[in-house]
Amino acid sequence: MIRFLASHPPGMTHWLLLSAALFSIGLYGLLSRRNAVGILMSVELMLNSAALNFVVFNRFVQPGRMDGQVMAIFVIAVAAAAVVVGMAIFVALFRHRATVDVNRAADLKH
Amino acid sequence: MIAGAVHTALFYLLACAAIALALAVTGAQRLLRAAVCLMGVLAMSAGLYVLLGAEFLAGIQVLVYVGGIVVLIVFTIMLTRSADLLEDKPSFPRRLMAVAASVLFLLMTAGIFLTTDFRANPGALPPANEVLSIGRSLLDAGAEGFVLPFEVVSLLLLAAVLGSIVVARKTPPPDQPFTSGGDRPGEVRPDPTLSQNEAPDGGAR
Repeated sequence: MIRFLASHPPGMTHWLLLSAALFSIGLYGLLSRRNAVGILMSVELMLNSAALNFVVFNRFVQPGRMDGQVMAIFVIAVAAAAVVVGMAIFVALFRHRATVDVNRAADLKH
Repeated sequence: MIAGAVHTALFYLLACAAIALALAVTGAQRLLRAAVCLMGVLAMSAGLYVLLGAEFLAGIQVLVYVGGIVVLIVFTIMLTRSADLLEDKPSFPRRLMAVAASVLFLLMTAGIFLTTDFRANPGALPPANEVLSIGRSLLDAGAEGFVLPFEVVSLLLLAAVLGSIVVARKTPPPDQPFTSGGDRPGEVRPDPTLSQNEAPDGGAR
């Protein structure tokens, strides 16, 4: 068992398939949720899997440099900014309409 | 050999946990539960970063994502009373379209990943001091540095903070018309702690 595990380390394709699976799950949540906060959480899943992809490529394609990790840090910063703005918009929307259902907030002006 | 076996086992454990928690994030009917599962997914991702040799990034992930973003999302859930309401199950056509789109995307990317030769280069060694190397490439103004995106990100964060304050502010000052979202200034109740004779005008401000 130990020998089998040690002789089958996860290759680059395994890591990429993992991040693709996480991204697809986030895509499913993005398309099926109706609550805006749930949609925001799905977007966070997708951003996280994209950052994981950057780190995987950094580790396996060019481990001598840190470019992929730097890009992952940028992705995390942009995700933080997106969450901050999204939270403000949702709170303002809730104050206006008393709902954060995206179907009932489809028109920009009422 | 033991280390390699542990590495492989940890990868599959963390991957399975991350996928299961991600499914719970998208499927949970209670949004607070989904937020807790999201925290789990992000923590598993931090573990995967450690497995990939990116310890600094794992620390950043725990600090920013698990400690900051998830807390912000929980605040949003509380402030919009989404925690009280069970979300409706998505209707069948909606769910069918979502499953079809995500499965097609997964199949397409998996096909690309399985058929492409990515010129993996496992022989090269990572730099001795990773944090030093990350810092140098973040602030390097040369052709291989990232100082311009670094500054742009700092500007983006500043704009996000200011914009969210403006959008979510409760009472707009009367001379600033940019915030139409909050209560009207006239709707602010007079402060009951003020004395009666100055309540009509003095209390409203």
